[in-house]
Order: sequence, then structure tokens, then C-alpha cells
Amino acid sequence: MSGPNGMLYGGDEIGALVFDPGHHSLRVGYAQEDTPKADIPAVVGVGPATHVPEPEEKVPDGNVTQTGSKAGSELRHYIDVTELHVPRPGMEIQTYMKDGQVDNWDLFEKMLDYCYSKVIRSPPEHHPALFTEAVWSSRSGREKLAELLFEKYQAPAFFLAKNAVLAAFANGRSTALVVDAGASQTSAVPVIDGYALTSAAVRSPVGGDHLAAQAKAMLASMHIQMLPIYSIQSKEVIRERERARYTLKSLPAGLTQSWQQYMLKKQYEDFCHCVAQVSESAYDERTAAAVPGVHYEFPGGYHQDFGPERFKLTECLFEPTLGAAHLACSAAGACDADARGALWGGVVACGGGAALSGWAERLGRELASRAPSAHRLKVCAAPAPLERRCAAWIGGSILASIGSFQQMWISSQEFDESGKGQLERKCP
Amino acid sequence: MADILDIMDIEQPTAEISRESILHGDKAKKKYVTTKTVKRPEGMHREVFALLYNDSNKDLPPLMPTDTGKGYKQTKAKLGMRKVRKWMWAPFINPARKDNAVFHHWKRVSDESKEYPFAQFNKQVSIPSYTESEYNQYLKSEDWTQAETDHLMDLCQRFDLRFIVIHDRWDRAAFRDRSVEDLKERYYGICAILSKVKTNPWSNIVTTVNGEKRSYQYDAEHERKRKEQLRRLFDRTQEQIEEEQMLLTELKKIEARKRERERKTQDLQKLISRADTGNTPAINQVANNTADSHTPSNTTTNIARRHDRKLHKKKLTSQQRPIRTVEAVTVEWSGIKFPEARSTGVWLRSQRMKLPPGVGQRKTKAIEQELRQMNIDVAPTPTEPVCKHFNELRSDLALILDLKNALGACEYELQSLRHQYEALNPGKTLTIPASICNTNEETKPLGEIIDVVGSPSALNSTV
Repeated sequence: MSGPNGMLYGGDEIGALVFDPGHHSLRVGYAQEDTPKADIPAVVGVGPATHVPEPEEKVPDGNVTQTGSKAGSELRHYIDVTELHVPRPGMEIQTYMKDGQVDNWDLFEKMLDYCYSKVIRSPPEHHPALFTEAVWSSRSGREKLAELLFEKYQAPAFFLAKNAVLAAFANGRSTALVVDAGASQTSAVPVIDGYALTSAAVRSPVGGDHLAAQAKAMLASMHIQMLPIYSIQSKEVIRERERARYTLKSLPAGLTQSWQQYMLKKQYEDFCHCVAQVSESAYDERTAAAVPGVHYEFPGGYHQDFGPERFKLTECLFEPTLGAAHLACSAAGACDADARGALWGGVVACGGGAALSGWAERLGRELASRAPSAHRLKVCAAPAPLERRCAAWIGGSILASIGSFQQMWISSQEFDESGKGQLERKCP
Repeated sequence: MADILDIMDIEQPTAEISRESILHGDKAKKKYVTTKTVKRPEGMHREVFALLYNDSNKDLPPLMPTDTGKGYKQTKAKLGMRKVRKWMWAPFINPARKDNAVFHHWKRVSDESKEYPFAQFNKQVSIPSYTESEYNQYLKSEDWTQAETDHLMDLCQRFDLRFIVIHDRWDRAAFRDRSVEDLKERYYGICAILSKVKTNPWSNIVTTVNGEKRSYQYDAEHERKRKEQLRRLFDRTQEQIEEEQMLLTELKKIEARKRERERKTQDLQKLISRADTGNTPAINQVANNTADSHTPSNTTTNIARRHDRKLHKKKLTSQQRPIRTVEAVTVEWSGIKFPEARSTGVWLRSQRMKLPPGVGQRKTKAIEQELRQMNIDVAPTPTEPVCKHFNELRSDLALILDLKNALGACEYELQSLRHQYEALNPGKTLTIPASICNTNEETKPLGEIIDVVGSPSALNSTV
């Protein structure tokens, strides 16, 4: 706002909320803050309501939304880590995301209910809502979201922004080539003056999930058993590489396959998070062996050092034809020749995958060998891993708190007057 | 600080702005008022005076312990002088919006009546508009339908003439794909036509030069060519780039070699012309001696060169293993070139006798040495003829010194080659013909110098 000397500062807060739905998690929080209020796994546990929590695992029931489905059978929805990670018979894990877009709207509604009631704890009609979306999101999905926000939640205003654009904003750029290493896919999107070039965007299905699957395969080939953490009652301290000694917990019967898979995937993600590292140049056994190993203890108690394996593991993210560098090159190549210089001058790395140590450096190195030498190449990424992971959310937080942005919201009046057709015009 | 001021008998400044004064507020001021009461009598030492009991001296420790003071309690800082202004969470209407939507934000109570400050940033590009009849009258085009043109103008408005984005969002389902240049060409064409036929011109395209309207002409052909060139430049493969780099460095090398060669020949020419026009006929003679003919200087060099080349070839063929190639004895030409008299301003004639800055320290010393040996004043009276002759003399001296140096180097070469020859062919002695052997000092080896400098061997060894 305006200062004492008539100067006009850039920010103006109107209590807006920013939602950044992703495949791995949904980030939600107030605009103008530097980190999201909550980072909720993007899955919903759906289980029968008949299960009554035992006294010792009694959680304040607020996290559980209870609804009666039309068929008559009671279903409960379990959202967020504290609810999800409890072993419950018959609880299926379902995701509402598909291909970077919301697919299952009923589940997504449950998620939004949870966000408003448990995270924001304020009625939705007080807060304009800014949503991020993938560049390739379909028109029907966007309109559906706008309808949901205005009609069910009575939001005063709504806006949809491309996550690539927001990630560029989070890095202080309006023109950038955004390389987003997400959970389900990696994408490269050119952004010019705050507009994403949709026709030049490219993506590949290699992402964080793929890395977790690779980790699973690698550990299986090394004959290391990954036990889910919930199944361990107690474990003994053992020496390195010694056979694990543990006792298993007695678990309720009827745990679903999807839930067990989900919990195991969390374990593999944790393994990748702790151990995996991207080597500076293409994998080379000798240089990788020279780097000191990283120690990791598995839930069962088995522990060992991981040396070159941790570099080998991440090589799948930089495959010559699917890797981030290749995507960036083809995205830039699809752009107008006049724009390429600016794009190469601002390659922005973001997403959960970019938070892997060494990822951005590797990208820079690969691009340096591929990018035309006529351009100045600069790869920028936020220094903190969390900032890389939440780049789109942070960009949304910045955008929604800029004073001159406040004229761009689609207000509920506008929506009532001219309907969802204007979404394409107002949120390009 | 206070102590020093005491010694110097300077009064304490009363209105001092420091952290202390801010912290204690007006209490500090009072203290300074009371300190003025007792003054030190004239002639009394400061130390003695300090021993006296002084009412105003609050620094003395109390005899009895007290706990009435504030102790370690922090005093609150009084920073702002003004009263706190209130903020409130208030509704506002943004004039940049057309729908009168009401949002809430924090604002000062005093600013309540003011308009939303960020509305001033709502800038829009002015895009020309046309009616259907206008379109039919002026803007008809074989290539563009009206629907397509309308779509273009709509996108221009939406994306504020960012043509790259417009191209990206172009409705390819409804209209055929067009390049950025096509879009720009159409848009600027429309602007130009409309600004002619309509009264209100669009500021972003029309400029008035000398009261005459002039609209921006978009050169689509040129742009297309430029884009194509850019595209080709960027689409080069790595091998192509490397090849180009390699060629460029080769070119640089060749140019450097050429320059070197030119410099050498120039040096040689200078030396020869210097020798030809020189005062000592002996030099001329020797040059001719070597070439075995009395020809003008040009031919002399040519022959000398040819002669040398022959010699060199012979050398290469006869010597299987050249242990020691003849090193280039390069003689930098060195008569001194005195700058011409400067054209403007008044100057001293002695300036003309100043050695130019290019002449090195060592050479200057050597020249002075020579002059002293000849009993000539180092700084003679600069009359016109003296100046001229003195400069000429020194120039010749410099030349002679260089020639001596070169001679020495050649002499050394010759001797070392002779030793080598004798070492390789034991028992034989190499008789050096008297014509090139240095018997009478300074004159003879000039030919040698010329040969060596101009010879291909010299070029080869440096390249």
C-alpha cells in the first residue's frame, strides 16, 4: 500500500487463498505468506463408516468427514496424514488427480471441505480463491472448478493461473522456460510475459513416482526387504548389513491392497528423499564411487551404506529422450526464434523432483551441452528445497497479493452475469 | 566524552540526539541543566577539583546500597513522534473493475475516502476498431476473412499485442495456421489503413513527423527473412558449430601469419632502403658483394633472396639431420624517426631534438655513449642546421648500433655452424670465404643480415 511519502508499495492483501493441487500433494494457504499452511497428500482414504476407532487411537473426529452416500451405505473419507496412515480395515486409497487435472470431483470436494474447515478454519465466502492448473488442463475441468467454487463454496472471487507461470513468478521472472519435475510427470513450458505458451509445452511421464518405482526395483534386486513402517512393533539394534531382527505388530484384518501399496510407496519416497542424489554429469561408476556413501536404516532395522547406487538410481530422470534436458530443448525449439534467447536466459527449475540434491546442477550441465551456444544460458532454482517444491504455490501467493492483480479476479457478480464462458477470456 | 568536554571546558551540547536521549526522553535534558551550576575555580587542578564533593556529580557510588533504581529493567524506547494511525479491515471498490465487486483489505482510517491506489496501473493498449461497412470498404483482403480478422483483433486486445502469445493462442481449429509475421503484417496493415481513413489515429502506430502523419510500416518480408536466418542459426548441430569454430580459429591463425610476414618484409624493405640511401657507401657495396652484382636495391634483394633459397634448399638436402638450424637473426630496423614539427602552437626547437618515446632506454644510453666518444655535446645548441644534423647523426648511430648487434649475432651463428661442421666431419675444416667472413669489422655482414631476415628459413622457423 501507499507509504508515508506517497510511494506505492506492490502488495495489497485481500485475504485470498491459494490452492495448488498436485499429484503428490495439495498445497493450500493464504496469499502473501511464504509457505503454504498445509501440504496434504493428494489422496483420500475411503472406508466404511462401521469401523469405530479404538480408544487408544482416538483422534479428534474433526479430520473425518462423514457423509451419507445416496446408495445408503455409509462411507467415511479420511484425509491428511494423521488419518490416512492409520491401518483401517476396508479403507481404500483413491486419488482425485489424473494427468495433472482434477478427475474425481466428489473426492476433490471432500478435500476442499477439509481445507476450509480444518486448515483455513474460516468460511469460504470470505476468501477469494486462486487455483493453479496444469498448462494442458481441459476447458471442462476449469469450468467445473469455477462452478464448484462459486456455487457450492460461495467464494467471492476466483482465479485460475497456470502453474508454470506462477513458478516463473516465484523465481522473479515473467519470461522463463519452466522445467517442472512433478510426481507423475516432468514438463517444460515456455512462459512469455506471464503467459504460458500452451502449444510449445512438452511433458514426459518420468517423474517422482517413476523414481520411487525404480527405487523399489533396485532394492528388490539388492534383496533388501522394505517393510511398511506400520507393521513393525519393535526392532533391535543390529550391526551394519546384519539380518534384521524385529517383531511384527498385530494388524487388523482386511487392510486393503491400495492402502498397503500407498504406505509402501511412502517408504520408497522416503528412501529416495534420504539417499538418492543426482550426479553432476552422466553416471560414471568411478566418480560415483569416490563420493562418500549415505547411511540408511530400513523400517525393519536393517541398515547399510549406499554408495554409487544412489547416483545410479536417479539416472532414469535424465534419460536422453525423456529427461528434463531433452524436454527443455524441445520446448524452446518449438517457440518463436525471437523468444528463444529470453527463454534460455531464464530456465526455472521447480517441482518436487527439482528438490533432489544435484538435480538443478545436472539440468544446467546437460542444457549447456545441448543449448545453442548463441544464447546465454542461465538455470535458476530457489535455494531451499521447499521453495522449489512449492514454487507454483509461492508464485500464486505472490500474484494474489499484488495490488494491480486485484482487478483480475472473476467475481461472483461477474460469474452470475456472464457465466462460465468468460473463464477462457479472463484466465488465459 | 563528558570527561573530555570537562577538560576542554566546553559546555555539553544540550540537544544531543543519541540512543540515550531517545531512551530516556526528557530526563537527560534535565541532567544537563543541573551540571552547569558549579564551575571549577581558576587555577585549581582538575584532579583536585574532582575530589571535592559535588552535588551535581551523580556518578559517585552511594555509601549505602540502595535498590530504588530501575535496576536491570529495560526502559521502553520512544521512537515515533507522531500518534499511531489506525488501520482497519475495510471494504473497497476497485475502479479498474467493471463489476463493482467488493473486496476487503487493510487500510488506514485516514485513507478511507481515497480511491484504490492500484487502479492507476490499469493500462490498456488501444486497438483500432472498425464497423462491418468499414471492413467491407477498406479492409477486405483475399487472404483474410472478416471472422479471422476479428479473431486477430480480439486476441490483440486480450494479449496486449504480444504477438508470440497471440500466435500461440491462435484458434487453429477454426482458422488456418499463420506465422507470427502474417499476424503482424495484417494487424499493422489494418492500423495503417484505418489511421488514414479515420480521424482518430492510434497513438501506438502513428507518429507525427513535421506535422505530417506517418504510420509504422511493418516490413513482413524482411522480418520473415530475419526469422529464417535466426532459425537456421539456432538449428545448427553441434558438429556444424564445432566446424565453424575450427574454421574461424584457422582463419585467425592464417591472418596472424600473414600479418607477421608482412611485417617482416616491411622491416626488410626499410633496412634495405636505409642501407641504400645511407651515407656509408661501404654498406651498399657489401650488399652488392653478396649478391655478386651491381644492381639497384630491388633486384639486389630479389637475387639475394633467391640465392639464399637455393642455399637453404641445398642445406636441407645435404644435411640429413639438421642438429641446428640457422636461427633467424631478426634485426629490428632502427634508425630513429624523428617526428615532424607539430603544426600548431609555439614550440621550442629543442623539442625537435628530443628522442621519440619509441626509442628504448638502452639504445638511448648507447647513443649517448657514442656521442661522448666522439666528443660531441649530448645537448647542443639547437640552431636549425644543428638540429637537423644532430638528429641525422643520432639516427645513423642507432642504425650502426643495430647493425653491429646483428653482425655479432651472425658472426656467432657462423662460428657455431663451423664448429658443428667440424664436429660432424672430423678432420675437415670449413674454410669460410673471406667475402662473408668478418675481417674488416662493421661493413661485411650486412648482406648476411639481409639474407637471413628475408630468407624462407626465417619465415619457417617463426611460423
